[in-house]
Parts: sequence; structure tokens; C-alpha cells
Amino acid sequence: MNVQLESPPETAILELPSETVKLAVKNLNFFYGQKQALFDVNVGFAANAVTALIGPSGCGKSTLLRTLNRIYSLYPGQKATGQVLLDGEDVLGSRVDVASLRARVGMVFQKPTPFPMSIFDNVAYGVRLYEKLSKADLAARVEDSLRRAALWDEVKDKLRESGLSLSGGQQQRLCVARGIAVRPEVLLLDEPASALDPISTARLEETIAELKRDYTIVIVTHNMGQAARLSDHTGFMYLGKLVEFGETEQVFTNPVTTRARDYITGRFG
Amino acid sequence: MIHAGSPRLSRRIGEAAFLAFCWAATGLAIVALAAILWSLVSQGVAGLDANVFTKSTPAPGSEGGLANAIVGSLMMCVVAMVGAVIVGVLAGTWLSEYARDSRYGKVVRFLNDVLLSAPSILVGLFVYEIFVAPLKGFSGLAGSVALGLIAAPVITRTTEDVLRLQPVSLREASVALGAPVWRTILAVIWKSAQGGMLTGALLAFARISGETAPLLFTALNNQFFSLDLTKPTANLPVVIFNYALSAYDDWRRLAWAGALLIAATVLTVTVAARMLAREPRRS
Repeated sequence: MNVQLESPPETAILELPSETVKLAVKNLNFFYGQKQALFDVNVGFAANAVTALIGPSGCGKSTLLRTLNRIYSLYPGQKATGQVLLDGEDVLGSRVDVASLRARVGMVFQKPTPFPMSIFDNVAYGVRLYEKLSKADLAARVEDSLRRAALWDEVKDKLRESGLSLSGGQQQRLCVARGIAVRPEVLLLDEPASALDPISTARLEETIAELKRDYTIVIVTHNMGQAARLSDHTGFMYLGKLVEFGETEQVFTNPVTTRARDYITGRFG
Repeated sequence: MIHAGSPRLSRRIGEAAFLAFCWAATGLAIVALAAILWSLVSQGVAGLDANVFTKSTPAPGSEGGLANAIVGSLMMCVVAMVGAVIVGVLAGTWLSEYARDSRYGKVVRFLNDVLLSAPSILVGLFVYEIFVAPLKGFSGLAGSVALGLIAAPVITRTTEDVLRLQPVSLREASVALGAPVWRTILAVIWKSAQGGMLTGALLAFARISGETAPLLFTALNNQFFSLDLTKPTANLPVVIFNYALSAYDDWRRLAWAGALLIAATVLTVTVAARMLAREPRRS
């Protein structure tokens, strides 16, 4: 009994059927100056699904997220090698227009970052960059985005007030509304609930579950329960490597690698 | 062993002596300031009447005021500020947003700091050499250039400082929506920093409104009321300088009134700048 014939594998990466993959990462390495932060990451993010990235602090989950919309290229010392294919097109290529890439791949950050302008203008900001909408169409877009972010009922009477006047949880949902108003194809969420109270977190999770129908969502989270509740696929990262990736249920109930099992059962991290 | 309980007597005496010294030093500074303000107000109010604002600088013994100097000073300061704000805001933005750690940026930042502390009389001489002497004439515009050269480094510095205080997350949030960097700076970063930037401009205005030395070589002075900045232009600091040293009582009274006006302006502008700086999170 219980004789282990083979030691568990070092890594276990589920390869998704290529037609379901919206965003594919191939042989990705990432460097902060001299320091390498990601090692040969290969993973696919499925369309109309939520993929959670989990792992201890400093394991590279946020770094992976930041390569997907090339936000890292704001900083001269940071560079990535390998490929990130959005619908088969490499976004790491030097000819890519990063601004329009970022309009397709939206991002919501850990801390709420409302712009110093009205609630309406916060949501309209990104839309105005790329689309010339009539007043009525823009208002409709703003309303639709705020509804999807589950914020409309709370702000519909004060759209002209400053975005900074909202509570933390409302500000974060405002940022989600702002992100989806530009109609991206992919939405990246970097620990979006870490600064929120439980009620705001629950509302945000409902929003994310709702948004899955239209978007490809990648979420970085420290909250294991959140990853288990929200996601279809889960990737576990450790020391810059993707160690395990698979169906969320499998990763949480029956992880294949020792590292993932130890982390998920709470033996470290 | 360390003893708990009341501190030793010598330590308490040391503490009291140090505190007393601090109080004394603070008191000295405040008394000096109060003395200056008192002499300014008590002497200045006597000379302050409607004529000061309506009549131009008089010949000795006749009635007059400071209207030409007030208007000249205002014109030169406004022209100087327009130029200095454009140059200073753009240079500060470049230093903060584009050249933060670059070598060239560091050199420019250092040179700006040097300019910031350059004696204002040097700035006056410099403008005299490149502007007044070749064109063979003193002018209000030359005065504006000199004042602008003093204000621009102040604005550059304060702009860079307040822009650097804006959180990285704000920049990233805008860029992540697909906004180009220049658009992010104009629409988000400047907007977020506008209170601080305005404060910097007001402080620069306060600084140049009392400058005398750079105007001696550039704007010179003018006995008469004139709106023509291509001619020598009357201004408060030089009028104060000339009249305060004169032998005539009425001139000296006007000098005091002018000094009081400048002090009141600087005080008002500085208080306004403080109030703006205190609420940077206005929307």
C-alpha cells in the first residue's frame, strides 16, 4: 500500500486546446536589469474564462501579468524575451504599437487609482483616447461600464463628483469600469481585492464572474479562496517558474507537484 | 544597571537649558521679524493714500504717487511669469518624467540648482550684456527677461518636485488604458499636481516681485507713466531704492509706502501658496 512508484514531477503544465487560447505565453524570460525574474514560462490563457495566478510573494505572478500588456516597457531597465501571442500575434515584438495593445489588454491594479477628475470623466478617459463617440453614446458607454462593474446604482446621481470622493471599494470598482469601458479583449487584474473590505471584495468577485462571459480574465491573487471560487484555470508559480497549471478544481483538490501541494495545503508560503 | 525612576538632576537641567536656548533663538527670530514689520507698517501707512495709486512719481516737493511704478512692476512681473511658467513647467516635466535618472537630466538638474542660487545682480548684469548693451537702451522687456531668468529655475524645481510626488500607480493606470505617455502627463499627472505647481509659480512670483538688483541694469526707471515695455520702465523696487536714499521727506515717505505694498503683496501671495499646498487632493 501507498508505495510511490515514481516521484512526483517537478512541473505539471496543462496544455489547453489551441483554439480556446486567447493569450499564449511561450518561453518567456523576464529581467529586472541583471536579475532574472521569470524563467521559461509557457502557459495559455483561455478565452471567456478566468485564470488565477497564485504563489508566494515575489514568485513572479505580477511580473508575468505585467508582461502581458507590456506595462513594464515604461521602465528602461526591464526586458522580456520569448513570446506573448495575442490571437497569434506576438505583442513583445518591437513593431507593436504598445498604446493600442494596452487598449486591447486592460489592467486593474492592486490599489485603486482613480484619476483626479469626475466619476464620469474617469470612465470616459480611455474611451475618448480611441473613439469619437457622440455625447449620448459616450454617456451610454459610461453607464453600461458602471453597471457591469456593479457601481452604477451607487454613483448614478453624482457622476460629476470627483472619483476621489468614493470609498476604497467603490474606487476599485470605478477602476474596473474604467478598464472595461474601452472594450478590451483581455482584462488583467493584479490583486484587485487586496485593499478591500469583505463586502467590497464580494461585490468585486461578482463583477468578475459576470465579466467572464465577454472577456479573457487573468487575475493575480494571494487569496486562495478567491482563486478557487472565481477561476476556471489556476497557475501556481514559485521562484519565477510556473510550477503547475491546470483546471482549478484539479489544482486545488489534487495538485500533482509537491511544491503546489505544499503551498495549497498551507505547508509554506 | 539602568535605574528606573526620575531622571538625574543634571539631565533635567540639560533638558531645561536646551529648551530655553531653543525658545530664545525662536524668540529672537520672531522679534526681528516683528520689528521689521512694525517699522514698515508704522512708516508705510503714513505715506499710503489715494495719490499713491493714482499719481506718478513726483519731482521733489510736489505731490505724487507710485502709479507708474506699480503698473510697471506688474507688467514686467506678468511678462516674466508667462515666460518663466512655460519654460519652468516644461523643463520640470522633462526632468521628472523623461530624464529622471539619465545623465543629461542630472546635469540639467545640477545647472538649474546653480541658477537657483545665482546672485540676482549677476542675472541683471548678464541681461545687460546680452540685451541692453547691444540694443543700446534700457527697457521693461529687458527687466522682464531678467526677472524671468530668476523665476524659471524656481518653477522648474518646484514642478519637478511635485510631479515626482505623484504616485507611479497613477501613471501606470493611465498608460494601461492605452494612453500615450504625453497624454498621461497632460491629462492625469499635471491635473493631479496642479495645486503644487500653482504654489511653485506663486512662490516664484513672490520672489521676483521684490527683486531690485536685476532691474537696475535692465528696466532702469522712468519718471512718467508708460505702458511701453520697450522703453525704460518704472518699477517699485528701484523707486524704493532711489527714494529711500534721497534727502526729501516726501520721497522717503513714498519709499516706505512702496515697501509696504511689496511686503503686503508677497505676504498675500505666500499665504495663498500655503493654502493651495495644504490641499493637494482637491479635485
